[in-house]
Amino acid sequence: MTEEVRTEFHQLMDEVRADLVQMGGMVAEGISAVTAALLAGDIGGADQIITADDELDLLSIETEEKCVRLLALQQPVAVDLRTILTDLRMISEIERSGDLVTNIAKAVARLHGVELEPRVRGLIDRMRQQAVKLTAMAMDAYAEQDAGLASVLNDMDDVLDDLHNEYIVSVFASHELGKISIQHAVQLAVVGRFYERIGDHAVNVAERVEFLVTGELPEHLGANRARARREQDEM
Amino acid sequence: MTPEEAVMTQESDASMPDVAQSGVSGPGVSESGAVVDGMTSPGPRIDVSGAAMGHTRADTQTVFRCDDIHVYYTDFLALRDVSLDIAAHEVTAFIGPSGCGKTTFLRCFNRMNDLIEGARVEGSINYHGVELYQDEVDPVEVRRRVGMVFQKPNPFPKSIYDNIAYGPRLAGAKRSELDDIVERSLTRAALWDEVRDRLKTSAYGLSGGQQQRLCIARAIAVQPDVVLMDEPCSALDPIATGRIEELIAELKTEYTILIVTHNMQQAARISDMTAFFSVQANEMGQRTGELVEYAPTSLIFTNPEDPRTEAYITGRVG
Repeated sequence: MTEEVRTEFHQLMDEVRADLVQMGGMVAEGISAVTAALLAGDIGGADQIITADDELDLLSIETEEKCVRLLALQQPVAVDLRTILTDLRMISEIERSGDLVTNIAKAVARLHGVELEPRVRGLIDRMRQQAVKLTAMAMDAYAEQDAGLASVLNDMDDVLDDLHNEYIVSVFASHELGKISIQHAVQLAVVGRFYERIGDHAVNVAERVEFLVTGELPEHLGANRARARREQDEM
Repeated sequence: MTPEEAVMTQESDASMPDVAQSGVSGPGVSESGAVVDGMTSPGPRIDVSGAAMGHTRADTQTVFRCDDIHVYYTDFLALRDVSLDIAAHEVTAFIGPSGCGKTTFLRCFNRMNDLIEGARVEGSINYHGVELYQDEVDPVEVRRRVGMVFQKPNPFPKSIYDNIAYGPRLAGAKRSELDDIVERSLTRAALWDEVRDRLKTSAYGLSGGQQQRLCIARAIAVQPDVVLMDEPCSALDPIATGRIEELIAELKTEYTILIVTHNMQQAARISDMTAFFSVQANEMGQRTGELVEYAPTSLIFTNPEDPRTEAYITGRVG
């Protein structure tokens, strides 16, 4: 027999979860929209995306305020505590991904009039696809509290990393063939980096979801090495 | 009258038994006597002092080892099959819903259940290597080593000084030593500065929080090894509660503390280990308590293993 004795508390937690899922959705849509603007050289569309990021910022602040209130007033423990800690970390990850979308939007004007080679265009679109997929999967894992789904994100991110490398090679090949200037080549390289970073933020979200579900903090190779060194020093 | 009240009444109605009757004598105990008393006893035949003296910090030292504890009130099984170890110089909290047996379990540790008609403890509680429930063990001596602080502050109707001096006097402490014992005990209980100028006035003139610290001072005046606390803050305001919690943190350097609390956040704040008890009804509707999970407090409140613990501490079960 399960009876809820902290209804209001858990309702507010559900609200936070809904906010986060909405923020994740805004980022995923933003990635597609900004890619369309980039490939079409649509400066007006890019400006709209930059403006829309304010909404994401506002929502992230409101959500964080809810988390602070939950921590201060409800003394969450166990899965509730892990959820709110996860929520707080996720707000930053998603908000940062939104900023990266904005950065891509800002590059649209700087790249205005630049003729992109079909190969480069194709790679941008595939990076878009992967970034959206990773973001959506991370949010699904969160919404469903699915540690299994979350655990595959890191490996999946390799696809985006490979695309990114391939893209950088293509951009500079394009420059060497004299099709784009060095300034534009650098600009394009930075844009590729923004997609790649969005994937990293999705991986971070997924790691936090694993913590939420299992209580285990993500294991990092570097941290393990440092721990081993510390233990050796103590001996 | 609930068994709990019965015990409290017995204790405060103890009406100062004669020193001669207290049965507190024998090797290593002459300096102090039992506060929680009221029964005559045949005198200790088995020394329960064990490793109690010295109070050295040893993380691995086990004070109590409980195996398969069952507690009955006549035919009614109140608590089922509890096994756990209590480590020295730690605060161990017992939490759980009403009727889960946590207070019943606490009372096992100083044989307080002996005082309840029909109560029976089965299983083994080993205290520093001595089987607590064997006939040869003197329950009065046990209660001197394992003191108790109750939910409602229950000072004796005497002066502040005499409240503290009562136990040591019983044990034959010299008049010249009493002043020191009183000051030391009140200081340890963080009450000395507040009462030093009115030691001869009635303990009833103190606030609720002060009375509770007086009861803690009284419990430690006989130099116990363990202090049991049964919801010691439930009748206190948040400031008084905070003082008691600070005190508990300090006292654990010298004593082992077991505390029952309904306030889970209090358990989280003050304890090293937490035992979560739950209650299960059988087909006859009889409700029996059981131990669900026993783990470091930091683990219980961040990532408990048992879903029943999780449900209880997050408020998802009534």
